Amino acid sequence: MTAPPPLIDARNLTRTFDNGAVTALGGVSFTVAEGDFVSIMGPSGCGKSSLLNLIGALDTPTSGQIHFAGRDLREVRDLARFRSETIGFVFQSFHLLPTLTALENVQVPMLETSLDRAARRAHAMALLHAVGLDRRLHHLPTKLSGGERQRVAIARSLANGPRLLLADEPTGNLDTASSQVVLDLLTRIHRERGMTIITVTHDAIVASAAARIISMLDGQILSDSAGSAAGGK
Amino acid sequence: MSLLTIVIKNLRHRRTRSLLTVVGISVGIAAVVALTGLANGFQTSWEETYRARGVDLIVTRVTSRTALPTPFPSTVVDTLRALPGVTAAGGVMADLMSIEDSPTMLVTGWETNTFLWKHLRIDQGRLPDTEREPVVMLGAITAEALKKKVGDPVQIDTERFTVCGIFTSEALSENGAVVMSLGSMQALTSRDGMVSFANMKIDPALGPDGVRRLRETIARMFPNFQSFDASQVSQANIAVQVSKAMSLGTSLIAVAVGAVGVMNTMLMSVFERMHEIGVLLAIGWRRRRIMTMILLESMLLSLVGGFVGIAIGLAALGVLEWTPVLHGRIAPDASPLVILMALTVSVALGMLGGLYPAWVGARMSPSTGLRHE
Repeated sequence: MTAPPPLIDARNLTRTFDNGAVTALGGVSFTVAEGDFVSIMGPSGCGKSSLLNLIGALDTPTSGQIHFAGRDLREVRDLARFRSETIGFVFQSFHLLPTLTALENVQVPMLETSLDRAARRAHAMALLHAVGLDRRLHHLPTKLSGGERQRVAIARSLANGPRLLLADEPTGNLDTASSQVVLDLLTRIHRERGMTIITVTHDAIVASAAARIISMLDGQILSDSAGSAAGGK
Repeated sequence: MSLLTIVIKNLRHRRTRSLLTVVGISVGIAAVVALTGLANGFQTSWEETYRARGVDLIVTRVTSRTALPTPFPSTVVDTLRALPGVTAAGGVMADLMSIEDSPTMLVTGWETNTFLWKHLRIDQGRLPDTEREPVVMLGAITAEALKKKVGDPVQIDTERFTVCGIFTSEALSENGAVVMSLGSMQALTSRDGMVSFANMKIDPALGPDGVRRLRETIARMFPNFQSFDASQVSQANIAVQVSKAMSLGTSLIAVAVGAVGVMNTMLMSVFERMHEIGVLLAIGWRRRRIMTMILLESMLLSLVGGFVGIAIGLAALGVLEWTPVLHGRIAPDASPLVILMALTVSVALGMLGGLYPAWVGARMSPSTGLRHE
């Protein structure tokens, strides 16, 4: 019996901008197995967000290939559907819709599913309960703290049951206490759901929450090593 | 929560802009309703004029392209009267004339002792006795506007007449008219022996085929003339055509301005929300859903603007109906069809104005959207 393909298999990825004048990624290769918790770490401008955009099918590489669970992303015709069904995103600035309450924000991705209104609402309530926001269901983002907003964003990222959660600087806009709450939440999601998580960060403390740390500099992978959380996995 | 919830909350979030767009659209739709209602009312009042008199067929010269037809000899009326199936015929001459200090009014001369006079309800006085008697009858609205009663003198153009009667008619336009005998009208306009219309009553037993054959006979006998029924004559009337064309032209301009307003609002909204749209695309929304959201926003704005505009348009028609110029002459006709048309126009306007912004929003790449903070 052959082993299942890695969830992510990135082969020699490059990404340039301005007709090749700016190179964000200069030939990056790595694999991520299903159930891994990986941090991509590096200073600002090292190409880690560009890499996250490629893995998340938000952007296409200038050259190279990404295989997701053995499937070449270039062959995926409906990338929106792929993202909707497969990937959850958590952003540094939360990116919640300002006009919608916490409960409504979590339901937004579910509009692309066949769930009816009542099921969407029940599922969103369960997710907000899981991130500890039962009492903040009907609050607008402006009435929530930074940590609470990020927890709503995490609940939203889980709405369609993704196989992969991508978090771009998830604690970048949070104070220390809120950062710890968010990191604990991501760790719990990884542990309890066995979900594959890739975080992008410039913060070594955040990166250390992962079992594996990929360090980047100037669009290249510098190192790929076990994180401090590896032993706890 | 549904897509509509997001749409409504987006519009409410940009309250002032949404409100201003609704105002812009409603002004356009109000113009459509008011102008179309007036033009329709104008046409209806023409049709009513003939129906109230019991006229089945009207014969005029084909070459007439002015507001009122070119006169022709009254002998034509005598010939028409003798045709089989014609139960009655009367000559009519009409013109727009200045009366004392009032605005120009419709003055008509009707052949005496014909069916043309029978539908009038005489409120005061009497009908003219003879073809040349220098008297006039005033419609109730005209009498009120001129402040005249039976026995008062009235100056029409260069001639002086006496008011012999005041009447009301089912046809609103006649209530705002001045009627005299055909002979007096011919003398007043220096067109002895001429008429501008031949109004005819047809034997009902003739049936549609009989009427068609009669009209063919008239066309053969008088090649330069044409016969119409009441609705056809109003449609063919150049004044009705001009009023409808003006109404359509002004409505189109108003609607175009409205569409540009919607497009401007929605484009600004899309450019402001590029980041938000990027997020929606990133979390898996399809481009079709982004398009639907933006189109729904623009169509909802237009629909609200449409309802407000219809209310304003109807109110404006109500006010216009009581202005001295229109009161008693034209009853604005904002039928359900006009309302339906206005609503359709408002939805189409939203669709038109929202299409390009929706396309701009939907074709955006998620990574481009996310870069816009």
